[in-house]
Amino acid sequence: MAPPLAQWSNPLAMDSDLNDPHSMGTTIIGVTYEGGVVLGADSRTSTGMYVANRASDKITQLTDNVYVCRSGSAADSQIVSDYVRYFLHQHTIQLGQPATVKVAANLLRLFSYQNKNMLQTGLIVGGWDKYEGGQIYSIPLGGTILRQPFTIGGSGSSYLYGFFDQEWKEGMSKDEAEKLVVKAVSLAIARDGASGGVVRTVIINGDGVRRNFYSGDSLPLWHEELEPRNSLLDILSAGPANTPEPMSI
Amino acid sequence: MAKALADVPPKGGFSFDLCRRNDMLVKKGIQLPGFRKTGTTIVGLIFEDGVILGADTRATEGPIVADKNCEKIHYMAPNIYCCGAGTAADTEAVTDMVSSQLQLHRYATGRESRVVTTLTLLKSHLFSYQGYVSAALVLGGVDVTGPHLHTVYPHGSTDTLPFATMGSGSLAAMAVFESKYKEGLSREEGIQLVSEAICSGIFNDLGSGSNVDVCVITKGKTDYLRNHQLPNPRTYVSSRGYSFAKGHTEVLSTKIIPLKAKPEVAVVDAMEE
Amino acid sequence: MALRGDWVYENNGGTCVAIAGSDYCVVAADTRLSVGYSIYTRDYSKICKLADKCVLASSGFQGDMKALQKNLAAKHLIYQHQHNKQMSCPAMARLLSNTLYYKRFFPYYTFNILGGLDNEGKGCVYSYDAVGSYERTGYSCQGTGGNLITPVLDNQLKSPSPLLLPSRDAVTPLSESEAVDLVKDVFASATERDIYTGDKLEIIIVNATGIRQEFLDLRKD
Repeated sequence: MAPPLAQWSNPLAMDSDLNDPHSMGTTIIGVTYEGGVVLGADSRTSTGMYVANRASDKITQLTDNVYVCRSGSAADSQIVSDYVRYFLHQHTIQLGQPATVKVAANLLRLFSYQNKNMLQTGLIVGGWDKYEGGQIYSIPLGGTILRQPFTIGGSGSSYLYGFFDQEWKEGMSKDEAEKLVVKAVSLAIARDGASGGVVRTVIINGDGVRRNFYSGDSLPLWHEELEPRNSLLDILSAGPANTPEPMSI
Repeated sequence: MAKALADVPPKGGFSFDLCRRNDMLVKKGIQLPGFRKTGTTIVGLIFEDGVILGADTRATEGPIVADKNCEKIHYMAPNIYCCGAGTAADTEAVTDMVSSQLQLHRYATGRESRVVTTLTLLKSHLFSYQGYVSAALVLGGVDVTGPHLHTVYPHGSTDTLPFATMGSGSLAAMAVFESKYKEGLSREEGIQLVSEAICSGIFNDLGSGSNVDVCVITKGKTDYLRNHQLPNPRTYVSSRGYSFAKGHTEVLSTKIIPLKAKPEVAVVDAMEE
Repeated sequence: MALRGDWVYENNGGTCVAIAGSDYCVVAADTRLSVGYSIYTRDYSKICKLADKCVLASSGFQGDMKALQKNLAAKHLIYQHQHNKQMSCPAMARLLSNTLYYKRFFPYYTFNILGGLDNEGKGCVYSYDAVGSYERTGYSCQGTGGNLITPVLDNQLKSPSPLLLPSRDAVTPLSESEAVDLVKDVFASATERDIYTGDKLEIIIVNATGIRQEFLDLRKD
């Protein structure tokens, strides 16, 4: 929501937009495939109308084999995942073996549920363990936990429900699943103003973890999107021949 | 939905009852005391062998310049410095507190402080105050794991970036970084770019002004370049000078009481044994 | 955003000063136009020549400043057609007061100082509030830097109380060059401490020979 114009006449209130809490208007995705999971996210963090970070990493590591996609308040989701990482490390040492995805997801749920009046964050947990293989859990706002074959979250997800209903198939290959995730995030970036930047994916399976990065200019152009252009800076530095005429009033 | 969530009583943690009370008082029209909120430009970037931080030196109170040459780059540890924007008292207090914790940690461990340690201490403090401690920080330093640059927001969220800006002049400064930053800048190029970003804030943002402070942190060496640039000298000084004539306040009556020395005899008891 | 009905005014900052001497009048204003923490332009003249020996300096909301200047210029044109002469400064002062009061319940958000020479060729300064209350003074200062400059002018130019009998001259004892020097210095000082004052100082000097203009660079931060 835009601030009322009257605010701009007050010098102290003027930059209130920048002082808003950091929130990640986000697109996050978790998809299971035959043998593992693929997590995906865009990279935009914004305060109101300002993009505070255009290359943020919203897919956070919890343990060797479990990652979480964060959405909502940046501060809240960082604190929750920092705590859960700490407890999972302790748990791993006490157990003498890697924590399961279920344990990680349930810890996140516990924090989200017990502090639901303080927190403003939705999470998607994904990982692989030897007992149940690749798993995706979605933990939306109030501390619900849902195990799902695939799930989407963040403000960009509203543009993707229909797409996933049509495109997600049982038993996809790793490459099919990752392609689907990248395509979905790029579609959401094209439509959702609060999502943008690059696409990051994390693939987790029995062989380990792989992180992938898809830069903004490598993504497909969707309906009515424009080709990248040279910036004014490039045109100006190209030399006097290409210098545009200065504007005359 | 949101209302139902708000009705759940909080379990432990900080009490923000007084903040709610203050909001209520403001709504009822009571003026709270103002505090010095520094409109600010602070920046940082990673260069070839370390981190460079920069800041302007203007502190404002509403439309008035309260301090023309204040220091906004705070010491955290010998190898870590932190630029602060927001409420001056908060940035000062939070950096002082954390830097003392770091000193104690160094005494306990006998090792150089790390930037992530500083970051965690800062963010956990700010998060526990839920944004009421309004300190927006650019944290930079070089430790055993290399150079690091972070931004910390008042609500406790943090970012890790190769170049960062904060404060009311952050947009002006970020415009410079976005168009000119590249990886592997030399020390001179880095200082030049940081100064240019700060100057962009100084000249285009009314909340920022006066001089450019720079801090260059490399492995084993920190250079604090206080007032690295002075781009705003006074433009005119009266050649005449001023005389302040006596008598601007009318004297109604005069009475002079002379002070007289009054002899005082000290009475001392004789020493006994 | 612009649909909000209650949004009418904005303060674009800036400071105006005028000093009247026995045979001159100095009117000065900075050229910064800003809102909030942003600068719109560093080169906007806040001073408007209304008649041969009469200039108006205003600060406040630029939209109202422009509307007021246009309104006065139109009324002055009619005056010239009807009387075949330029309006005198005291007459313009009354006209400005009436123009401001005419919009008593939807005021021009402007703070004005009118400076020039009166019918005897003596310097005169009229200062106003936004709804037309005015007074002839020896010097005046308005705008965002007003609170900083006024006490300095009071100290240097303290004019006799208008209540004194017999009444004394309201003009300042300084010479023209001394007054210009003082104006430059107070603006350089106000620029040090007021964020809305700066960039450039425009000085208009009105005397028997006509109108002269001077500029001085101020801090741009």
